Amino acid sequence: MAGFLSTLRRIYLSLYNWTVFVGWFQVLYFAVKALREGGPTTVYGFVERPLQLAQTAAVMEILHGLVGLVRSPISATLPQIGSRLFLTWGILWSFPETRAHILVTSLVISWSITEIIRYSFFGMKEAFGFAPSWLLWLRYSTFLILYPTGITSEVGLICVAVPYIKASEKYCIRMPNKWNFSFDYFSASILALAIYIPGMFICIFFVYPSQAMCRKKLFSLSSDHITNIGRKSTHVPVYAWAAQEGSLQVKDG
Amino acid sequence: MKVTVVSRSGREVIKGGIELHDEATVSDLQEAIHARTKKYYPSRQRLTLPMQAGIQGKPIVLSPKKKLVDYCDGNVKNLTVVFKDLGVQVLYRTLFFWEYLGPLVIYPIFYYFPVYKYFGYEGERVVYPVQTYAMYYWCLHYSKRIMETFFVHRFSHATSPLSNVFRNCAYYWTFGAYIAYYVNHPMYTPVNDLQMKIGFGFGLICQVSNFYCHILLRNLRNPNGNGGYQIPHGFLFNIVTCANYTTEIYQWLGFNIATQTIAGYVFLVVAALIMTNWALAKHRRLKKLFDGKEGRPRYPRRWVILPPFI
Repeated sequence: MAGFLSTLRRIYLSLYNWTVFVGWFQVLYFAVKALREGGPTTVYGFVERPLQLAQTAAVMEILHGLVGLVRSPISATLPQIGSRLFLTWGILWSFPETRAHILVTSLVISWSITEIIRYSFFGMKEAFGFAPSWLLWLRYSTFLILYPTGITSEVGLICVAVPYIKASEKYCIRMPNKWNFSFDYFSASILALAIYIPGMFICIFFVYPSQAMCRKKLFSLSSDHITNIGRKSTHVPVYAWAAQEGSLQVKDG
Repeated sequence: MKVTVVSRSGREVIKGGIELHDEATVSDLQEAIHARTKKYYPSRQRLTLPMQAGIQGKPIVLSPKKKLVDYCDGNVKNLTVVFKDLGVQVLYRTLFFWEYLGPLVIYPIFYYFPVYKYFGYEGERVVYPVQTYAMYYWCLHYSKRIMETFFVHRFSHATSPLSNVFRNCAYYWTFGAYIAYYVNHPMYTPVNDLQMKIGFGFGLICQVSNFYCHILLRNLRNPNGNGGYQIPHGFLFNIVTCANYTTEIYQWLGFNIATQTIAGYVFLVVAALIMTNWALAKHRRLKKLFDGKEGRPRYPRRWVILPPFI
């Protein structure tokens, strides 16, 4: 019974990871197509649907973590998925005035390349039991560039949207009301911006060094295959945008 | 006997080990380690037996009161312990005091001072009776908590990591301000009188019950005993394992019925989730310990925390 369930889990996760991989591949494909045909201002129009689908599908990962299907700490996946959904739906979809901005291009490119690498990595591990070392190398190396460009694009686009958020009063709930509740989307967006600062701080001082340590450890060994067993929790939980859901160790020999 | 103290990576923490007499306790060992390292006072040390290769499971933690020989399997002259630094520790009393002081001070600020001017609401505030009672209720609650921290609770571990101070204070103080903002708001809409009375009445009954639960728990824990665990009994503990959490949750429900704010209900849900997590762990631990074998009593069938749900 246990063997059957574990196989089911592998099949499901393989399907999930490869499906979302295809989604992000489409995003990148359409983004490049847009750049060649219409230029940066047209990128959003080309990528909107696959972007929304692929990004929203990631909500499943919270569920996977909660029910124990994968080993990720939801404390790491939640902030990332939160910020992604905020940008995709709360900024780009809600405020069309932002869509023509150049940062949309850098955002979409950064996200799609990272996710393509990440989902293919997990797709490989679940379907075939290993991931080629060049893929692992890509994961740990591209994050050094894509993370800053991605975050800059996210923060930048929020800033671009802020004047429109303030003027439109969209998603705002005012008092008085029976449930004594209020919500100001403008203040919430400013708060979101503020949270990026400690987030970046954590990344520069904890994630980057621990990633560097990981890379040194993993690439100084000459094994071709990396299989997943279980990682010691002595490392600081690595920010999910760049790293993975906590199951990585080099196979001996 | 000679005790070798190593870190989890195998490195010797105390060079040459420590010599202790055969009847020494774990506590004596901890004092000796502190004497040799200066930095690592006993509450910062976590000492475990080395894990056997291939055997799964959690490592056995050395209990300060027990003798070292109790952990030696045959070889009474040598013992190896694994050392882990738990980081800077604070007393639980200190932790609780600071996390409860925040709400106790912050909430009345929103009630008494013209805070809402800074949010753009000029002019005089009309204060409804429910808002005044809510302030008294809230302050009573957190005063009670501080009082219990110093005079009622008996803690199984004396200390907690320093980082918990920041984490816990952020939780309590932020929610305190969040709720206080809405209940004392110039545009607050009160519920009807009957609902308010039911809410506060029920809440007060639960607060008193909660206090009684804490007294019962305190009397359960006597200094001598099998790791401090006993089957809780008396009052609501006869039907719920964590009756103290039950009464706490229902007490907040009473507050929310009376004050009706989304902020208050959000806090209720989050607090209930946190406590349910704790309750499940405690219930499981008690069921595992009191399994009915070898003369131990069997843990009775009980609700975990929130009848009729779980």
